[in-house]
Amino acid sequence: MSHTMTELVVGTTPVVIEETRGFWEGTLVGELRVQRCTACGARQLPGGPCCSSCWSRDLVWEAVSGCGTVFSFTVVRHAFHPSFADRVPYVLADIRLDEGPILTSNVTDVAVEEVRIGMPVRVWFDEPIEDAFHTPLALPKFRPE
Amino acid sequence: MIAIAGVGTTPFGKLPGRSAWSLQAEAVRNAVADAGLTKDDVDGLFTEPQFSEPLLLHGHVLGRMLGLKTDYLSTISIGGATAITLVQQAAMAISAGLCEVAVCVYGENAKTGLPMLFGLAQMGRGQADDIAYGMAGGPVMEARSAMRYKHEYAVTDEMFGAVAVSFRHHATMNPAAMYRDPLTMEQYLASRMVAEPLRVLDCTIGASDGGVAIVVTSAERARDLAKPPVLVAGMGAGHNLDGLKDPAHYTHFAGARSSQRAYAMAGIGPQDVDVAQFYDCFTSTVLITVEDYGFCKKGEAGPFALDGNLKVGGRLPTNTSGGMLSEANMTGWNHLAEGVRQIRGECGARQVPGAEVCVVSGHGGFQAAHATLVLTKGGR
Repeated sequence: MSHTMTELVVGTTPVVIEETRGFWEGTLVGELRVQRCTACGARQLPGGPCCSSCWSRDLVWEAVSGCGTVFSFTVVRHAFHPSFADRVPYVLADIRLDEGPILTSNVTDVAVEEVRIGMPVRVWFDEPIEDAFHTPLALPKFRPE
Repeated sequence: MIAIAGVGTTPFGKLPGRSAWSLQAEAVRNAVADAGLTKDDVDGLFTEPQFSEPLLLHGHVLGRMLGLKTDYLSTISIGGATAITLVQQAAMAISAGLCEVAVCVYGENAKTGLPMLFGLAQMGRGQADDIAYGMAGGPVMEARSAMRYKHEYAVTDEMFGAVAVSFRHHATMNPAAMYRDPLTMEQYLASRMVAEPLRVLDCTIGASDGGVAIVVTSAERARDLAKPPVLVAGMGAGHNLDGLKDPAHYTHFAGARSSQRAYAMAGIGPQDVDVAQFYDCFTSTVLITVEDYGFCKKGEAGPFALDGNLKVGGRLPTNTSGGMLSEANMTGWNHLAEGVRQIRGECGARQVPGAEVCVVSGHGGFQAAHATLVLTKGGR
C-alpha cells in the first residue's frame, strides 16, 4: 500500500520494442492494431516474437474496428504510483475487443460510477508522447459508444 | 519421502536498521537451530531475492555471507508462488541425491528500507506497458479479477469482508502479527476503497520487514532431529501465464490443477484437510482459491466464509496466523511457517486441535503462477 512501492520503476511510459512496434506505429495513424498469425489465423495482444498458438513467426499487424466491451474494470481511488496522484479516481479496464483479444486501458469521458461490465466502448487516441528512447506513440483509450 | 525439519522466522513489522540480508541471515540461523542442526549440515540453499533488489545472483551473495559450502544452489522469483516452488525444488534436489539438508529463505526490509520494485524490473522492457494506464500496484491488478468474480457469482462486499475479519480474528491470537486489534464487519465496510471493489482491508499489508526460512531434508534424516517432522506429502503447481489476457482466468486460477496434483500425490482429497494456509494477497484471492481447491463449488466460497467456516472451529480453518492480510507480507513464506507449526501443534490459542493435514497455496507473479504443498504429520 506504500506510495513508494513502484517509484523505482523507470517511468510509466511504455517502451517500444520489436515485438510491440507495429502496435504503437498504428496508434500514430489512428489505427488500433492486433497481431495476426498468417499461418494459423490467431490474433494476439500484446505483440510477441512468435504466434503463441502455433509458434509461427509469420505475424502481421492488422487494424481492427476499435470497438469492444468492458470485460472487467476497477475504479482506482488510491494512487499507487506518484504519476497518477492527480488522476484518481480513474477507470482501469480490460476491454474485450470485438476481434477477440483483451486490451488493458482506460475508460474515459464517463463518470467513474457509471462504468459497467459489458458496456460497449470505442477507442480514441491520446496526444502522442515519446518513450525513453524518443520513439513516438499514442496511448489508445476507450469511451462509451 | 521429504520432510520439513526446521522453521525460522524473525520479528515482522517495522524493523529500522535491519537490512534484508540481516533478516535472511537471522531466519536461516533460527530455522537451522530449530531443526537441531548446525551450519555445517547445510549443503543446499534455495533463495528468493528481496523485491527491493531482485538480484540474479542473490543466492551466491547470501551463501557467501552465511559461509555456506553448498552442493546445490538456486535463486528464483516467480511472484507469490516462489516460497512453495523453492521448497519443491529443494525436495527434488534431495530426492535426486544432489544435497541432503536444504535451507529455503526469503527476507525483506521494504517497510523501512528500499522500496519494492514491480513492473519493468520484473517483466522487462515493453512487457509491463499497462502501467501507462495506471496499472500500478497489486490491488489495481487484482481488483479486475475481484470485480468480475463479484459480477459472475453475485458475491457481496460482506463476503470479502468475512475473509478479512476471520483472518484478523486469528491474528489477535498471534503475538507475532503486525495487526492484532479485532476487526468488525462494520469497520471493514467503513474502510476506504483503494481499487474498487477492493477496500484497503481487502489487501495484503503493503510491505513488511521480516524473514522466513525453512529447512528441508529427507524424512529419514528428519526423524532423529529436534522437532517432529512434517512431511511434504503432496506437491503441485500450475501457471496461467497469460494472466488477465485470458477471460477464463479472472475467476479460475491455476490452483485447481495445482491442488489436484498435490492431493493425488498425497493420496488425499479436500475432505481430509484439517487446516489451510492460502495465499491472501487479497480477500478475493482466498475465496477463489477455496473454490479452486475443491472446498466449495464456484461462487459458494463467499457464503462459506460468511458462515464462519474459515475461522478456527469452522469447517476449513484458514490462515491461522492472520496471513498476509494481518500477520505480515512475507509473500507466502509466513504461510509455510504457520503450516509447519500447525502440524507440530505449536500454535497456542489459534491451534487447530489435532491438525494432521495442512494445505498451503502460493499465488502470484501477476496472477500467473500457482503452487501447492500438502503437509502432514510425520512419525518418529
